[in-house]
Amino acid sequence: MMQFLGLGILTWITFLPVAGMAVVLLLGKDNKQAIRWTAAVFTGIQVVIAALIYMGFDRGMSGINTMAGFQYVEKVSWIDIRSFSWFGNLKIEYFLGIDGLSVLMVILTALISFIAVFASWGIEKSLKGYFALLLLLDAGMMGVFVSLDFFLFYVFWEIMLLPMYFLIGIWGGPRREYAAIKFFLYTLLGSVRMLLAVIALYFSVSVLDPATGEKVHTFNMIAMMNPANFEPGSLLEGVGTTWRYMAFIALFIGFAIKVPIFPFHTWLPDAHVEAPTAISVILAGVLLKMGTYGILRVSFPMFPDAAVAYQIPLAILGFVNIVYGALVAMAQTDFKKLIAYSSISHMGVVILGMAALNTQGMTGAILQMFNHGTITAMLFLIVGVIYDRAHTRGLNEFGGLMNQMPRYSAVMVIAFFAALGLPGLSGFISEAFSFIGAFQAFRWIAIASTIGIVLTAAYMLWTLQRVFLGTLPEKWKDLPDINGRELFMLVPLAVIVIILGVYPAPAIDLMSSAVNTLVDIVNAQGAMALIGQ
Amino acid sequence: MLPHILESAKLFYPELALTIAFCFVILAGLVTRNRIFTGLAGMAGVLAALYFVSVQAPVDGTAFSDMLAVDGFSRFFKIVILAATFIVQLFSLQSAELKSRAMGTAEYNALLTALALGMCLMAGASNMLMMYLALELTSITSYLLAGYTREAEDSAEAALKYVIYGAVASGMMLYGISIVYGLTGALDIYSVNQALGSGQVNLWTLILAGILITVGFGYKISAVPFHFWTPDVYEGAPVTITALLSVASKAAGFAMMIRFFRVTFADLIMGGQETGAWAMLGGFEWNEVLAVLAVLSMTLGNLVALWQNNLKRLLAYSSIAHAGYMLLGVVTMSPEGVSAVMIYFVVYLFMNLGAFYVVMLVADKTGSEEMSAYAGLGQRSPFIGVAMTIFLLSLTGIPPTAGFVGKLYIFSALIGAKMIGLVVIGALNSVVSLYYYVRILKNMFLKDAAPGGAVFGLSVPEVAMLLLLLVPTLLLGLYFGPLVEYAQASVSIFGIPR
Amino acid sequence: MTLIDVIFWFFAAVTLGSAAVVVFSRNIIYSAFALLFTFFGVAGFYVLLGADFIAITQLLIYVGGILVLLVFGVMLTNKVVSVDIKSGTLNAGVAMVVVSLTAGTIAGIFYATEWKTAPAEMLQPTTAGELGTMMMTSYLLPFEVASVVLLVALIGAAMVSRRDRSKQEAA
Repeated sequence: MMQFLGLGILTWITFLPVAGMAVVLLLGKDNKQAIRWTAAVFTGIQVVIAALIYMGFDRGMSGINTMAGFQYVEKVSWIDIRSFSWFGNLKIEYFLGIDGLSVLMVILTALISFIAVFASWGIEKSLKGYFALLLLLDAGMMGVFVSLDFFLFYVFWEIMLLPMYFLIGIWGGPRREYAAIKFFLYTLLGSVRMLLAVIALYFSVSVLDPATGEKVHTFNMIAMMNPANFEPGSLLEGVGTTWRYMAFIALFIGFAIKVPIFPFHTWLPDAHVEAPTAISVILAGVLLKMGTYGILRVSFPMFPDAAVAYQIPLAILGFVNIVYGALVAMAQTDFKKLIAYSSISHMGVVILGMAALNTQGMTGAILQMFNHGTITAMLFLIVGVIYDRAHTRGLNEFGGLMNQMPRYSAVMVIAFFAALGLPGLSGFISEAFSFIGAFQAFRWIAIASTIGIVLTAAYMLWTLQRVFLGTLPEKWKDLPDINGRELFMLVPLAVIVIILGVYPAPAIDLMSSAVNTLVDIVNAQGAMALIGQ
Repeated sequence: MLPHILESAKLFYPELALTIAFCFVILAGLVTRNRIFTGLAGMAGVLAALYFVSVQAPVDGTAFSDMLAVDGFSRFFKIVILAATFIVQLFSLQSAELKSRAMGTAEYNALLTALALGMCLMAGASNMLMMYLALELTSITSYLLAGYTREAEDSAEAALKYVIYGAVASGMMLYGISIVYGLTGALDIYSVNQALGSGQVNLWTLILAGILITVGFGYKISAVPFHFWTPDVYEGAPVTITALLSVASKAAGFAMMIRFFRVTFADLIMGGQETGAWAMLGGFEWNEVLAVLAVLSMTLGNLVALWQNNLKRLLAYSSIAHAGYMLLGVVTMSPEGVSAVMIYFVVYLFMNLGAFYVVMLVADKTGSEEMSAYAGLGQRSPFIGVAMTIFLLSLTGIPPTAGFVGKLYIFSALIGAKMIGLVVIGALNSVVSLYYYVRILKNMFLKDAAPGGAVFGLSVPEVAMLLLLLVPTLLLGLYFGPLVEYAQASVSIFGIPR
Repeated sequence: MTLIDVIFWFFAAVTLGSAAVVVFSRNIIYSAFALLFTFFGVAGFYVLLGADFIAITQLLIYVGGILVLLVFGVMLTNKVVSVDIKSGTLNAGVAMVVVSLTAGTIAGIFYATEWKTAPAEMLQPTTAGELGTMMMTSYLLPFEVASVVLLVALIGAAMVSRRDRSKQEAA
């Protein structure tokens, strides 16, 4: 376990942004450059730590449901209530750790946050507040991916709401107030359901305290994955009971709103359109993944019976997301809205892949989470670049930009082709894995979902055509090409997209043993439920 | 008899301290008009009471021939009540509203201590006569304090409404008490319980009596449908008093209600020895009545709050909704539920008083309690803006604030009792509440200040006061172990087997 | 019918009849005077119940104190304020329904209930001594708290009246 100054490396990567926030708040209001660089330095260190984690990560360890399988574990008792008579003992731990499921997300979060800081360089209004909130948001996201105590997980999950509300609400577009409150209400609606499921889990699960030999209720996620820990007679005990299905659905809705899965998606286009570029990048790049990560980390291993039972409905939701997102994207004339709906479509692939409940599907899903994070971040940055120059996002107002902005066009072509799944770019690999997995599990849904790929290709290419080909309108004659700062953000992402497109092994190696374990748990325990019925 | 009375008096030190302070402040008011002096004298009384409560031996017993129970439960609520009173007394020293009053504030400070006395008696009363007297003491004092500063027409109307509603509610309660007396021939709740448990008591008569008594409780905790006075009185009364009514008076009402239902109607012998859950005498499920009140209070309070533009009115409806959440804890009729209510009150004490303090500061500086006065507050006074944000998030119940812990325990108690329908309603209600709390945030941060909305600074005492409320609101959200342990250890109600 | 019954019905008739006048009279002064008989009737009940001390208290406080004050108040304000003080009726229909429902419920329940009654031999010639002892022993606390309630009410009365004066000065 790596440590620095007595604190574990995961603590560092999670709370560095909070330290950054404190520094930003101490700086003078008018010291704008210092504020920007503080944020950049702190998120930069975060990227370095992420790289260290990547290099030190043991590919052979599986994680998921065994304590020993987690890496960089930090476990400290946080709240430990020893009570008498009727009240059970309560134990909340500061419990961090990562496995193959979360390591990619940690890297993604660090990377996207760093890029988001540079994407925010042009912000002028209340700069101090902006960067403070951005860093807090960063800490919240990172915390979600590294925490293994459900209480801690929930706290991090909720901590992000407020910064996001303000970042959209203060620095957003014309309808920002509406978009911000809509985001806030939707996510809270989801998370209170999640909270109820968490409490129900907490009541049902107890472990023996090694020190005293007493039964202790715990928020430990890993303990919740072991069917033996469920107390007899408790709410969620057994397999395939109504309460278990209800808890699964409650959790699922909480996560589905974040993903967002149709029909809970309506907050997303509003939030994306109104949010400033950097926030859109974070929203699409990291926040959406928290939903799918939650399903993989929590719903599947804790409720394998329900996961198996709801496999087909889940797959159908994935299909709807893919096709619906693509169809609506096609109808958009607002560049940013188009990308927003394409996100819904691409997250559908993740859902479809994980619903397959086999190795290929889940590998594809997790890889797609990472790839979509990088690709969508590029797409939103690209929109930001053109919006900063033209102050419009109307697709039909552009044309013939190929010659006017050649370097911009090159980056954009890479991003678009990656998004539509061109072989040789990362999007292709993950979509292919997802579809192969899905095809094995539920042939017809997988086949129907491929319509989405065609539709995606159609609207992506059509968009390229509308922006780049044709004649350049008179008013855009003076548009400058992409500048150094913007390239600095886009090029690393493009490199990752190309490398993972050609040679995805570095990413797949990280997760393969975790994915195998997850698939085994779900299928073994889920099968028991089916036999039980 | 005399030895018993002397023995009882030892358990009565907190209340005695308050009584002495009350008399002293009245007399001091005849000599001096110094606002600060009488204020400090009142505070000394409350602090002394707080001290006496905290040094009481952790033994359960009763005083004055079973009139007053002195147990963990009442001690806990007395601490909440006295702490709230003390904080409000601190507010009162700063309040511009009170400073502007020419007549001096000796009566005001005296009545505050009398109110604290009444509420402490409510927390401990274990005899229905005592309950009624304590309720009346609290009510009459509240009427006077609510109408203390303003001479405006609408606040006169509010005060009148308060008096009339209060009179009707306490009258109905008294009627219910008399029926119970007629049925059992006893006034102290232990004997009543015994009589109910042993004899053949007409169930319908008992239900009628119980409902009438519940009206009195419902009025005190402002639960729907006994809430009509709340918005008007909260709006018309001085902010300090509104804050106190919303926390302490509600706590006293809850303490009395829980003790009444727990001791009077619960079957002390049958069932619940292992889980501690209560079984009801006569098979009538009182918790269903309370569940209806809870759901109505939460839903109506939250929905009506959506349309409010006056902050005090908004917080009035929000306090109705919070009464609903806390009632949910009582509905479980289990120690978990009761301890959840107790935890909620500690949390609510800080966050709600905090929100009211901000309302007071803004009203003192801008002269307005309307939503529009908050436009751009985030820029005009960042510290107030951030503090208010944290208080409001806490009221919504978002981690890592203390409000989350309160809701967590209420919801836990419900899920532990397998009352899933109620917990879902409660959870959805907290989403609704987010909307109106965020409306304030929106005004503070998303809107620009109106022209003329000057930047205002804070004096050192004001910052200290805000921090005093802010720090616990955050700290209890992150480290709530001691609070929970203390609350769970304090659930002991005298006369109830553990 | 024994003599006690006759007396009971007499007091009942007086109480209810005068109470009806209190409510239905359009002239508030008549109402105030009719209240006198209501109080008398209730005092009679107390005597019948053997609660002699309460009966006397009822006469002293309600008739001698409160009612006289009330009549004073009515007559004085009648002169000062030019508006006639009259009691009218609003929403008679709704009120009728609500009242009859409530009264019906209460009456039904009272009729059906078996009340706990004290054995007759417990009745003592006078209760004053007993009451005094109780107030100083088992009911000491309520007795003392009642004094605080009265003190608060006293302060309140002073506050309210003083404010009125200051308002007049301001105006």
